[in-house]
Amino acid sequence: MAHHLTTCTFCGVGCGLYLETDGNRVIGVYPSMSHPTNEGRICLRGWNVHEIASSPDRLRTPLLRANGALRPASWEEALGFIAQRLTAIRDQHGPDALAFLNSPRCSNEESYLLQKLARAVIGTNNVDHGAGVYTNNSTPTLLQMLGVPATTNSIGELAQSEVIVVDGVDLALQLPTIGGWVLRAKQRGAKLIVIDARRHRVAESADIFLQNKPGTRVWLYGAMAKVIVDRGSMNRAFIQAHCRDYESWLEKVREYDLLAAADICGVPAELIEAAAVTYARAGAAAILYSTGVEVRGERSIQSLVNLALLTGNIGKPGAGVFALTEHNNLQGVCDMGVLPDRLPGYEPVASADARDRLRALWRGNALPGTPGLSSRPILEHRGGGRVRGVWFCRYDPVTTAPFCDVVDTLKELELVVVQHLFMTATARHAHVVLPLVAFGEEEVTFTSTDRRIQLAAKVIEPPSGPRPAWQQFTQIGRALGADWHYASTAEVMEEIAQAVPLYAGASHANLAQDYGRQWPCTKDKPLGTRFLYEDGIPGQPLQFVPVPRRTVPPGVPADFPLALVFGFSLYYWHRNVLVQHSETLKRELRVLLLDYPEGFVEINDEDARRLEIRDGAHIRLVTSQGASETTARVTREVRIGTVFVPFFVSEVARQIACALPVEVGTRGNPVYVRLEKA
Amino acid sequence: MRARILNRADVLQIVDLLRAQGYEVIAPFCGRGRDSFFDTVTDENRGQVQLHVPNPYYPPKRYVLPHIERLLKMRRDDGHWQIEPTLDAPKRALFGVRSCDLAGIWHLDRFYLGREFRDPYYERRRRNVLLVNVVCTDTERDISDECFCVCADTGPAARDHFDLQLMDLHDGEFMAVAGTPAGEALFASPIFRNGTAAHAEKRRAILTEVRKRFKNTTSWFPATVRYVSQGRILDKTWEEIGNRCLECGGCTYVCPACTCFTVSDRQVAPNEIERVRIWDACALGGFTRMAGGHNPRKAVHDRRNRRFFRKLAHYFIQRELSVACMGCGRCAAVCHGDIGMPSVVEMIRRATAETDRIEPAIEMKAQP
Repeated sequence: MAHHLTTCTFCGVGCGLYLETDGNRVIGVYPSMSHPTNEGRICLRGWNVHEIASSPDRLRTPLLRANGALRPASWEEALGFIAQRLTAIRDQHGPDALAFLNSPRCSNEESYLLQKLARAVIGTNNVDHGAGVYTNNSTPTLLQMLGVPATTNSIGELAQSEVIVVDGVDLALQLPTIGGWVLRAKQRGAKLIVIDARRHRVAESADIFLQNKPGTRVWLYGAMAKVIVDRGSMNRAFIQAHCRDYESWLEKVREYDLLAAADICGVPAELIEAAAVTYARAGAAAILYSTGVEVRGERSIQSLVNLALLTGNIGKPGAGVFALTEHNNLQGVCDMGVLPDRLPGYEPVASADARDRLRALWRGNALPGTPGLSSRPILEHRGGGRVRGVWFCRYDPVTTAPFCDVVDTLKELELVVVQHLFMTATARHAHVVLPLVAFGEEEVTFTSTDRRIQLAAKVIEPPSGPRPAWQQFTQIGRALGADWHYASTAEVMEEIAQAVPLYAGASHANLAQDYGRQWPCTKDKPLGTRFLYEDGIPGQPLQFVPVPRRTVPPGVPADFPLALVFGFSLYYWHRNVLVQHSETLKRELRVLLLDYPEGFVEINDEDARRLEIRDGAHIRLVTSQGASETTARVTREVRIGTVFVPFFVSEVARQIACALPVEVGTRGNPVYVRLEKA
Repeated sequence: MRARILNRADVLQIVDLLRAQGYEVIAPFCGRGRDSFFDTVTDENRGQVQLHVPNPYYPPKRYVLPHIERLLKMRRDDGHWQIEPTLDAPKRALFGVRSCDLAGIWHLDRFYLGREFRDPYYERRRRNVLLVNVVCTDTERDISDECFCVCADTGPAARDHFDLQLMDLHDGEFMAVAGTPAGEALFASPIFRNGTAAHAEKRRAILTEVRKRFKNTTSWFPATVRYVSQGRILDKTWEEIGNRCLECGGCTYVCPACTCFTVSDRQVAPNEIERVRIWDACALGGFTRMAGGHNPRKAVHDRRNRRFFRKLAHYFIQRELSVACMGCGRCAAVCHGDIGMPSVVEMIRRATAETDRIEPAIEMKAQP
């Protein structure tokens, strides 16, 4: 038997855990007491990770479509076919007829090689990660306002926070380790402010719970800023020394009004005022929000960052803005440049200097300078019919994309390449399927939500057949004429260190010494950075963004009195294909699926009583555009006047989303419905 | 019980003796930072076996009740199902088991073997296990902030249920106590010598001192048993506890006394199915949900109080002849919301201020 320290790969927290192996089998798992992120705690998913490694459903050989069916093929055949088809499509229709999408669960090394294949070998910026359809709001906003597109502080620093604001994220179910830090900080005397339409587990412990109406966050934050400004509680010295555009922001804040905001948000004015005062008075206050689907437009992200700047909560321990990533490597995938408009290290593709720098490093063709297509238009309509071939790395949009029926799009494509561990719904529509190796079978790195670049150790040998993704990319790159000779993922990381300045000091050897390193990890600062600007804030890198008050508050139409709240939060991990391969996790999910076999939407018990709807009853959601039938789950957790639609009930979500003129995930205004008994 | 004295330098020779007798010896090792773990002793790592070390977090109970184990295999040949049980029972010695974990294994014995149905998988495994207890005497390394075995009355020195017990007498000598003939047989080795009355006195003195050095004393433990058994804890208190549970199951997985498991069949090949037994946890909704859909413990606080009923209610204590809490403190270290046993006892203690208020008011007026 042997014990290996590694990194959990279920979510963006990146807990340290040990895997116990016996021969080539993982037989047990337990958390590390010493890892700074989790200090001895992991969640149910982590506790059952060992069951997955032994799953019998793994793909073993490449599959190639012949006469309409997928049949086993040799690696040479499969890779040769892909190389030939990629070349043919590029030569005939241009490089932008191809697109490369991956999952935010991919490692840094394979993400880097995927975008390098797309940009340097094929010559397209049609590169995106699967979460891009709803999370890319945060990257540009944080870059503009903080100079860095990531969580500013460390998770473990929450123990030092005097005030913690949890906005729109169900920590208990989504990111339990962070939920634990918050609950324990509260036990030690920190004040907890929760902003959410849902009364979730962590909200039960809140000192101030602002259960606002959907789509009203901008008013809420605007009113809080106004209260702080009116009382003179802002941090003037900090603002003067480090922030730009304060005056123009201030002008717009004056438009807000506490009582009007209270009315619009459906939250008592005293609570908003108390939250503002509590936040402003704290020596160190942290704001946590999710970059997941429930997100809000960029206006609400701007509003909360403005609040952190106003009170000087940047550049000190226990403070900051936590842009929480729910997928285990969403941060790393973005860092690696799996974005249609940004190169590795976040430089815009339009920047000729940045392209030249990378071209010199890659010693290849000129890089394309126009932003590519993002995943949503590719999956919805092939970018207006322009895209003919798509490469999916560990990505299963047929199961996970909430906004459209991806199968229709896949059927129109001339080439679909899928790399995965299992025969996913997307793989069923592929022309080629390439089997991958799993967690624990290769040494790769992931970057957690607090910028911690960590090794996931190789603890067992992969089954015979599958090859690591980085090898597959290398082989395809060479088949297409590129001079690629990576011998290991450590070598890929050496190149990443040259391409991404934030990772300049992050060799595998350095990462193995401690519990990973938090970027910026440079040659001068090889131990990494616990919180941003820990060595002082040079000049004025921080920027206020004025958020004008919208003139028309969202009114509730009389015929359609209930607001829809879409969310991934509940049972989201169902979307992680790995969960399906653990007996315990599978059972926990089945409980819900057995109780509500056709899916459900959640309504408040008081709304249910008034409408005479019982738990489990069939109901109809009626909008001005159409209707959808489903089952009601009656719970006190949702706010009165709202209907919560979990995305895992994809049919219902799609029916509603398609029936309505609603941009799910990028929505500005809430959608209103009427409930009827079906 | 017989006792002998041996030199500190010779203690690991016991490991060698056991390995020579064909035992797979499991012993504690250091991981990174303050992490530690039980692992198989090999020629390579034998020198790294630790006598004083923070008690490994992943409990040694997995050597009698694995985290996941195959119970049987079903294979279809020519339309007939062949069923073949997997009876895996290696000859193992657990070296360096702490007194709390020892009490935990005895508790598992009572549960799996002590009543009408004896569990054959557990029984075979358990029968082949030899237990070498090490008494916690190093107040810096052995005893963590969360330990409270003095309150659970399982430590720091176990009174029984070991084959051999080792205790550091601090001046280069260890005392060995045999609890069974198998343990006593080891005394044949020349590393052991007879002790004196001074050694016995030293042992008493050290234990007296160590008992004073525990940082976490849940002195309200016995009273909590009474409150739980009599149903005198308010729903409000349970709800408060439940609201801090993030349903990770960690407390049950690390508990040396938790017995619950689930059984699941899964296909491993086109004609082959295996049945596995996996640790289960009362924190999980699927644990109590019944086939028809009814869940008697649907709310999280109902599931949470189930854990404390099971551990502290008189009925269960009577059934298993021990409190199902050994005072190892792991649940306190593993819990996201800090509702391990010591915190819960404390929350219940504080809440009694309120329960006492609703008890019959005392008549203060003087009788005429």
